[in-house]
Amino acid sequence: MKTQSVSEFAAQAKTGNIDLEENTHKILDKILKAENCNFFNSVSKDLALHQARELKAKIKAGKQVGRLFGVPVSVKDCICVKGVESRAGSKILEGYFPTFDATVVLKAKAEGAIIIGKTSQDEFGFGTFSTNTGLGFKAPRNPLDSERSCGGSSGGSAGITAFADFTHVSIAESTGGSIACPASFCGVAGFTPTYGLVSRFGLIDYANSLDKIGSMGKTVADSALLLETISGHDEKDSTSLNEKISFSPEASAKGMKIGVIKEFFGEGINPDVSKIAWASIKKLEKSGAKIREISLPLNAKYAIPAYYLIAMAESSTNLAKYCGMRYGAHENLSGSFNEYFSKVRSNNFGEEAKRRILLGTFARMSGFRDAYYLRAMKARTKLINEFKLAFKEFDVLVNPTMPVIAPKFFEIEKLSPIEQYAMDLCTVPSNIAGLPHISINAGFSQKMPVGIMLTAGHLKEQILFKVASVLEESQ
Amino acid sequence: MIGLECHVQLDTYSKLFCSCPTKPETEEPNSACCEICLGMPGSKPVLNKKALDYALKVALALNCKINEKFFFSRKTYFYPDMSKNFQITQYEIPIGSQGFIELSSGKKICIRRVHLEEDPAALVHESGLLSSSYCLVNYNRSGIPLIEIVTEPDMASPQEAREFLDQLTMILSYLDVFDFENGTLKADCNLSVVGNERAEIKNVTGKRNVEKALEFEAKRQLELVKQGKQIVRETRGFDEKNLSTKSLRKKETEEDYGYIFEGDLVAFELTKKKIDAIRKSLPELHSDKAKRLAKEFGISEYDAKVISGSKFLSDLFEEFAKASSAKTANFFVSGVFVSIAHYENKEPEEMAPRLNVSQLKELLALFEQNRINEKALKEAAIAHITKGKNPLDFIKENCLFKEASSGEVEKIVEKVLSANPKAVADLKAGNEKSLNFLVGLAMRESKGKAEPREIKRIIEEKTK
Repeated sequence: MKTQSVSEFAAQAKTGNIDLEENTHKILDKILKAENCNFFNSVSKDLALHQARELKAKIKAGKQVGRLFGVPVSVKDCICVKGVESRAGSKILEGYFPTFDATVVLKAKAEGAIIIGKTSQDEFGFGTFSTNTGLGFKAPRNPLDSERSCGGSSGGSAGITAFADFTHVSIAESTGGSIACPASFCGVAGFTPTYGLVSRFGLIDYANSLDKIGSMGKTVADSALLLETISGHDEKDSTSLNEKISFSPEASAKGMKIGVIKEFFGEGINPDVSKIAWASIKKLEKSGAKIREISLPLNAKYAIPAYYLIAMAESSTNLAKYCGMRYGAHENLSGSFNEYFSKVRSNNFGEEAKRRILLGTFARMSGFRDAYYLRAMKARTKLINEFKLAFKEFDVLVNPTMPVIAPKFFEIEKLSPIEQYAMDLCTVPSNIAGLPHISINAGFSQKMPVGIMLTAGHLKEQILFKVASVLEESQ
Repeated sequence: MIGLECHVQLDTYSKLFCSCPTKPETEEPNSACCEICLGMPGSKPVLNKKALDYALKVALALNCKINEKFFFSRKTYFYPDMSKNFQITQYEIPIGSQGFIELSSGKKICIRRVHLEEDPAALVHESGLLSSSYCLVNYNRSGIPLIEIVTEPDMASPQEAREFLDQLTMILSYLDVFDFENGTLKADCNLSVVGNERAEIKNVTGKRNVEKALEFEAKRQLELVKQGKQIVRETRGFDEKNLSTKSLRKKETEEDYGYIFEGDLVAFELTKKKIDAIRKSLPELHSDKAKRLAKEFGISEYDAKVISGSKFLSDLFEEFAKASSAKTANFFVSGVFVSIAHYENKEPEEMAPRLNVSQLKELLALFEQNRINEKALKEAAIAHITKGKNPLDFIKENCLFKEASSGEVEKIVEKVLSANPKAVADLKAGNEKSLNFLVGLAMRESKGKAEPREIKRIIEEKTK
């Protein structure tokens, strides 16, 4: 059965035809029943029911406004929700109940959204399969096959979005592909905006110069609507752009110049995945788009190493603040401050977090800084320029989101960290360049979804909406 | 060779990256902090534009080249006073570089860089640094804007370092960017004997301590060199009680702070227009002011320099000069007030809250009208400044009006002159020494109540 779209649901809810308290109860029950799927790190039952009752009172008072009126919205664990434990999937943030809402949460609430909980993720976003969970956390299971990963790092968001037989959208976050990847593995729409279009205030940082909050929904329209409501300038985030996006509903690829990124269809890409992606591209051609291949040699070769150097260097400083002094996990006080900090950090960070702290610290130490961190920053400029050049010729670039379908957990265990990082080959370039991109379902291989990813120039989210809608309609 | 890294708190209303007040209404620890200055996960810094303006003013007044494009960096190290375990500061490109301060000798002390950064929280060891088994953290200080001013190792003596700091504080007072009452000025002092390793004395608070620390350290190092011993590269601390420095840690290599760009703040670009506007807004600095005061008010160059040594003093002078006369104002400010401040071991600015300017104006009016003498003026001023006494009441209560005493003085002088004919004869023959002798006798006779200048005047009249 098809679920109501967000806009249909919000319109219905405003008339009072949907009992929001009852609906929220029902949804919370479903989530709790699916507990073994591990989509949530915490369910904000009290907050959700309180909001539902408030919205009901608003209907009574005739003050029902907001484009997300009564819509259940889940939020990735790394995004602060006031009074709701926000741990970014890490044990070290156990007991951190933010005293403030992230700007995106404030904006969604102002549009009438009901916050149902914090979705599971790799610890601090450090992963591609949501299996690098913090100590004591469990990896979300793919709703289409519980032996398989949801993808990462916004795995819980994609999982619950695919799982839900009710209207729902999720606020997710991507640093190097953490929205597109799980959207691809779970077969939902994942929209990552231009860097700076959505405020990061209230985001528990992974890598500040790369982090982007975005949206997930069952459809392009749902994810776009959520993105629209959370976008816009925020004086609390200095990197936020003075732009707000508003989508006009339109499905058209006519006359669009679409570039197929050659390097992301060859070696390392599962042939079945390649084939399904090409089938989608053919559909676009049929709808009047002009298709041509393009090569991005610099991005294919250098995006991953540059990305991981920058991301790890930044994250190693972001994680410095966790030391058991002001919030989060504490240990018994003993020894010098150095001994105490080390004890807290040793006992409460997971393995991948420790790896990235070590590598990231190394990359920015004097003597290595020039060779690693600074060189990666310079490379990034060249990678962005390569894209800029491509967008002189093309409106949209296209590639399979992930080289494979969602792998099984035992397969992931066999991958070395480097092999895991290599899985981000197709998603990292658009992310390191801060370009907007969307991943939507293009078909199925072994009954598992295959995602196709569209990237457009900075602030060209509307083009993505138009082209993605064409693909969605042709499904 | 001495080089200084000075840290000066800027007197802005709110902190560097959030809107918390730099001067909370209460002394209550941790009453003026928010998720940003506490470094809570999810919070982001937003630059206080006022702090940037202040830093630009300082950099311009220190003759720096302004870098039109600059950004902030993260300096990462673990310490309990750090809310994020990294400090937001500037590394590659500071706001200003290549400036200088000119000492009175004409020697230029080069300034390598001026940059903006956040102050860490304050650590409180309740029962003393060494004996306390725990330590408390007060985040009210966390995030207060600091400018760091780094000099080249251009100073040759602790005295030059002191003069550098005097000049610096003068400039800060003119720019009105530093709160002399509540703000702190700290310096890391690097000192080496030419041809030897250097030692750094960390975190010395206040100008006087810097001078004392350097004096001790110079002596220590020179002694070692004399004995043919080696000076180790190390970081030392200054003990304010014993006025001595002691070794904190050996320092074989530079500390590695793993600087990276601060991704939560954008790169800043200053327009030429903005820089020019700030340059134009700079007030008349002390050297210009000294020249103007000397010319406009006809006071000596030396006094003009003393008065223009701080904005506070010169403002005070100009106000009193308007109310009474330049001569009286000069006598009071550079003669009386400055020496009281000096005696109290305070900067003139620090005395500001003790002054009731309108009461002092009344006092100066009496002096101007020749109704009280210099001595009475001084005594009343001391009573006012040190005890909060209304100077007029003081004059009345102690019967210091001239009317009551001038007849007395004349009688005393006549008595002294008739009792010392030889001295009178010598004086008439042109011996200045006998004048002083006679004045001294008359002073003794008056039991110190009469004013020397008046006695002198009367003696001169009577011996013509």
